[in-house]
Amino acid sequence: MFRNYLKTAIRSLAKNKSFTLINVLGLALGLTACLLIVLYVIDELSYDRYNDKASRIYRVNEDLKLGGNRMQYAVCMPPLAKALTTDFPEVEDAVRIKNAGSMHVKKGTENIMEKSVAFADPSLFNVFTLPMINGNASNALAEPNSIVMTESAAIKYFNSTNVVGKPIIIDDKGGYKVTGVIKDIPQTSHFNFDFFISMSSFPDSRSDRWLRSDYNTYVLLKPGADPKRFEAKFPGLLRKYSSSQMQNELHISLDQFEKGGSFFKLNLIPLTDIHLKSSMIGELGANSTTEYIYIFSAIGLFILIIACVNFMNLSTARSANRAKEVGVRKVLGSSRGRLILQFLSESILITFAAVVIALTAALFLLPQFNQLSGKQIGFNSHTLIWLAPVSLFIIAVVGLLAGTYPAFFLSAFEPVHVLKGKLRTGLKGGGLRSFLVVLQFCISVFLIIGTLVVYNQLRYIQNRDLGYDRNQVLVIKNTYELNKQAATFKQQIKQLPGVIDATLSGFTPTSSGRRTSIFNKEASLTDQSKSIFPQSWYVDEDYIPTMGMKLKAGRNFSLQMGTDSTGLIINETAAKFLGFKDPIGKNLYQFDDPKFKKVVTYQIVGVIKDFNFSSLRQNISPVIFQLRQDAGLLSVRVKTKDIPALISQIKTMWHSLTPADFDYTFMDEEFAASYHKEQQTGTIFLIFTSLAIIIACLGLFGLAAYAAEQRTKEIGIRKVLGADVSTIVAMLSKDFIKLVFIAIVIAGPLAWFAMQKWLQGFAYRQAIPWWVVAVAGGGALVIAFMTISFQSVKAALTNPVESLKSE
Amino acid sequence: MEKYYRTEEVETIALNKLSMEVKEGEFVAIMGPSGCGKSTLLNILGMLDDPDAGSYLFNGTEVANVGERKRADLRKHNIGFVFQSFNLIDELTVYENVELPLIYTGVASSDRVKRVEEVLEKMQIMHRRNHYPQQLSGGQQQRVAIARAVVNKPKLILADEPTGNLDSSNGNEVMELLTDLNEQGTTIIMVTHSEHDARYSHRIIRLLDGQTVMENIMI
Ligand SMILES: Nc1ncnc2c1ncn2[C@@H]1O[C@H](COP(=O)(O)OP(=O)(O)OP(=O)(O)O)[C@@H](O)[C@H]1O
Ligand SMILES: [Mg+2]
Repeated sequence: MFRNYLKTAIRSLAKNKSFTLINVLGLALGLTACLLIVLYVIDELSYDRYNDKASRIYRVNEDLKLGGNRMQYAVCMPPLAKALTTDFPEVEDAVRIKNAGSMHVKKGTENIMEKSVAFADPSLFNVFTLPMINGNASNALAEPNSIVMTESAAIKYFNSTNVVGKPIIIDDKGGYKVTGVIKDIPQTSHFNFDFFISMSSFPDSRSDRWLRSDYNTYVLLKPGADPKRFEAKFPGLLRKYSSSQMQNELHISLDQFEKGGSFFKLNLIPLTDIHLKSSMIGELGANSTTEYIYIFSAIGLFILIIACVNFMNLSTARSANRAKEVGVRKVLGSSRGRLILQFLSESILITFAAVVIALTAALFLLPQFNQLSGKQIGFNSHTLIWLAPVSLFIIAVVGLLAGTYPAFFLSAFEPVHVLKGKLRTGLKGGGLRSFLVVLQFCISVFLIIGTLVVYNQLRYIQNRDLGYDRNQVLVIKNTYELNKQAATFKQQIKQLPGVIDATLSGFTPTSSGRRTSIFNKEASLTDQSKSIFPQSWYVDEDYIPTMGMKLKAGRNFSLQMGTDSTGLIINETAAKFLGFKDPIGKNLYQFDDPKFKKVVTYQIVGVIKDFNFSSLRQNISPVIFQLRQDAGLLSVRVKTKDIPALISQIKTMWHSLTPADFDYTFMDEEFAASYHKEQQTGTIFLIFTSLAIIIACLGLFGLAAYAAEQRTKEIGIRKVLGADVSTIVAMLSKDFIKLVFIAIVIAGPLAWFAMQKWLQGFAYRQAIPWWVVAVAGGGALVIAFMTISFQSVKAALTNPVESLKSE
Repeated sequence: MEKYYRTEEVETIALNKLSMEVKEGEFVAIMGPSGCGKSTLLNILGMLDDPDAGSYLFNGTEVANVGERKRADLRKHNIGFVFQSFNLIDELTVYENVELPLIYTGVASSDRVKRVEEVLEKMQIMHRRNHYPQQLSGGQQQRVAIARAVVNKPKLILADEPTGNLDSSNGNEVMELLTDLNEQGTTIIMVTHSEHDARYSHRIIRLLDGQTVMENIMI
C-alpha cells in the first residue's frame, strides 16, 4: 500500500518538474543556511566545554572603582591563586596564566617570533583538560625554564612530538627544556597558546603585591561547592591581605578608601560564560557576545520560516490544479483517508529530498563557511547525535505542515463540483497564502533594513574623525630592543625622504596594550574622592604632531623646558573628571616610591582634544600623557608613493643596530583589525540576509508562475479583447505587489525600532538615515516585481490562440 | 494565404494557397470537415495569428505580418469574437465581461455604462447583469459573449461554431441575433458544422484540406 503511495507521489512530482524543483531547492537552500547557522551557534555555545571539569572552573575577576572611574578586570593580584588554595577548603585547585606576549624561538639558526606564549602554574593541567601526549602532566611546569608546547608547535620546531627533555632557545637564551607536549588546544577555548612556560621562570610571579592586577586566575571548586557562598568570602580575603599594603603604599586604610566611594572587589565568572559574556580589561583573547548568538539564531529561524512558508504556499497553490484529479479519484471510489495519505506522502518525500540535499550542501560549504567566520567547525560523530534526530524531526514537521493543508482541503472536495467545471480554488486558501507572503516579505524587509543599518554603522565607525589620523602611519614595534639608541634611530628616520614625522611612545591609539595609573589632586594623597585613575601613556614631544592630534589648551611637551619630565598633557575627558575649569598649570600628585612616601608633583601643561582609542562601543575614558624618550613603539608618519622601499630602508637601518626581528604594522590596518570581528559578522549577516531574500523570491516566483498558469485562459481572452502586454503584466503583478507593499509598511517601523535598540550599544552611532527604509522598501518591491514580471511577461506574450484552444 | 504547422517531423498544411474575399456587410459561413483549417483561417482573419505566406487585406490595408502592436490595435477597434465555448472570464460578472473591450479601447467610464447597458438590453440579458458566467445557462452565456463582441461596434464579427454548445432553440436564438447584427451593417464570418445555421448566411465557403472547394451563394 505504502509503495503505491510512494509510486504515485514520485510520478506526480516528476510530472511537475519545475514545481518540484523550486519547492525542493527552496527548502534545501533554507535548510542549508539554517544548518550552518545552527552549527555556528552551537560552536559559539560550546566554548571551553571541552574541559572535563568545566562546570567547576571559575575565573576570578576584579571590579575596581577609583575616583568615579569603574573598571572590570579579567586579571587579579599575583598572590591571589595561592591564597585561595590555602585559605579556602572548597577550592580544589587554582591556576594563574599570564600572557607572555611575543617571544623568539630558535629553529636552527632562525629566530621565529611566536605570539602565543604564556606563563602558567603547574596546576594548569589539573584544572584544564589539556591532554599530554608526552611528558608528565603533574610536574611538567614545576621547574623553572620548563616549556610545554602543543603538538603542532613541536612538529614545527622538532618535526616530532617525542621531544621531552630537549633543550630549546628562547629570545636567544638557552637553558630552557621541553617538559611536555600537549594536544593542540581546541579552537573553542577562550585562550589559545602554543607554548606554556613554567610560572617559576618568571620572577614577577612571586610578587606579594595585592594592589595590582595582572594575572588571569582560575579556581577549580570541589564538587558541590557553592560559588555564591565562596564569592561572599572575598571581601574578608581582600581585607586580610591588602589592608596593610594599602596603608603602606597609599597611606590610607581600606575603610577610608571605601568611604571615598571607591572600592575593589572580586567576583567569579563561570568558565563557560567567558567567551560570550566577558569583555574585560586583560582578557586572554577577543571574546564574542551573546548579541551575535541572538542575531544569528533569529536569522536562522527567519530563513527556516521563509523556506517552510514557500513550501506550503506552493503546495497549496498547486493543489488547485489537482482538483480534477481528486474529483476523478473520488468518483472511482477513493476514500478521503487515502487521498490524505497520498498528499502527505508527496510532501514528506519532497522534504526528505530537501533535507538530504541540505545536509550534503552544508557538508560541502562548511570549509568556506569556516573561512568566513574564522571557525573550525567540523562534522563528527558528536554532530550526528543531534543532527540525525533533528533531520527526522524536520522531515516530519515540515512535511506534515506543508502537506496537511492541501491534503485536507483537497480531499474535502465534492466530486460533482470539481468535475462540473472550473472550481474557483485559486482564490480559496488565498487568504492564508497572502498572509504567508506578507510574513515572508516582512522578514525580508526587516533583514534588509538590519543589514543596511549594520553596514552604515560600521562604515560610520571606520570613517569617523577619531581625533587623530591613522592613515599613512607605520608603527615599528619592540624599539626597546634598541635600548638607548632608540632616540638616535628616530632622529635618523626623521631625516629620510618620505618621512614627515616620527615619535616614540608606549602606545598608539590603535594598540591593544594599556597602562593605567593613579593621580590625586591633593598632595596628601589620602582623599580617594580626589583621585583619578586614567590611562597613562608615555609619549615624546613628537607624538601629538605625528598622530595628527589637536591641542585644545596649553602647549605640547618641549625638550627646551627642563621641567617637562613632570609635565602632563591630559585629554578633555580627564579634564572633565578632574573638574578643573582651567586645567593648565594645575598640579596632580602621585607616589614615586611608596616605601619612602615620596610624592611627585606633576603639572598639567596641555589639554588635548578627545580622541578615540578603544572600541567605539565605549565612551572615551581619561588619558594622561607623560614625557619619556624610551618607550617601545616608533610611529612614523610617511608620505611617499614607494612605501616598500622606505620600509626596506628602515629595516636596513634597524638591523645595523640590532639583530632582533624587525616587526611593524600600519596603524590603519591595526584599526581595521580591531573591527575585524564586527566586519566578519557583518559579512555573514549580509550573506544570510541575501539568502533569505532569494528564498522568499523563489517562493514568489513559484506563486507567480502558478497564478499565471491559473489565469492562462483569462489572459488569452483579455488579449483577444484588446488588452496589451503591459496591461496583462500589471494585472498579474498587482496582487503580489500589494502584498509586498503591506509587508513594507508593517516591517519598516518594526525594523527601525529594533535597529535603534541595537545602535544603543554604541557610544558613537549614526541615526538611521531615512534612505535605509526607502532603499529596503524600494529594493524589496523591485526584486519582487522583477521576480513576478518574469512570469507575467511570459504569460502575457503567449499567443492567445494557444491558450484558448487548451479548453 | 498559406499556413503550415511544423511539429518535430510532420508538417501540416493548414491553409493551402487559400484565396477568398468577403465584402463589407456580408454574412459568410465557412464549412468543412474537422481539421480542414476553418479555425486557422478564422484566427488569421481575426489577426490573432499570421499567415506564413500570402497577403491579407483588411479594409484595403495589408495586415499580414504587420507586428503585434499594430494588429492588436486594429483588432480591438474593428473585430469582435464569438467562440463555441463562450470564453467568458469566470471571475468577472456579466456586466464586467461586456465592459472589458471598452476599457481596452479607452472609452470613458460614463460612456461605458451607457453602452454596456444598451447592448445588454439588446441581447435581453440585462436582468442578469450582476451574475457570474457559471450561474448562467449556455444560451445566456453565448448571448453575453455576443454582447461583448458587439459592444465596441466592430465592423467584423468572427464566430467559431457559436452554436456548437447549444441546444437547437438556444442555437436559433443566437443565429437570429447574428442576423439582426448583420442587417444593421456588421460583416459576419461564421464557422459552423450545421447546414441549418449556414442557411442564415448569404454565402457558404466550403473548405477541404485548407483549400476552398466550393462557394454557395445563398441569396
Ligand atoms: N498548433 C498546431 N500545431 C500543429 N498542428 C495544428 C495546430 N493547430 C492546428 N493544427 C492542424 O492544422 C489543421 C487545421 O486545424 P484547424 O483547427 O484549423 O481545423 P478546423 O477546421 O477548425 O477543425 P474543427 O472543425 O475540428 O475545429 C489540422 O490538421 C490541425 O491538426
Ligand atoms: Mg475549429
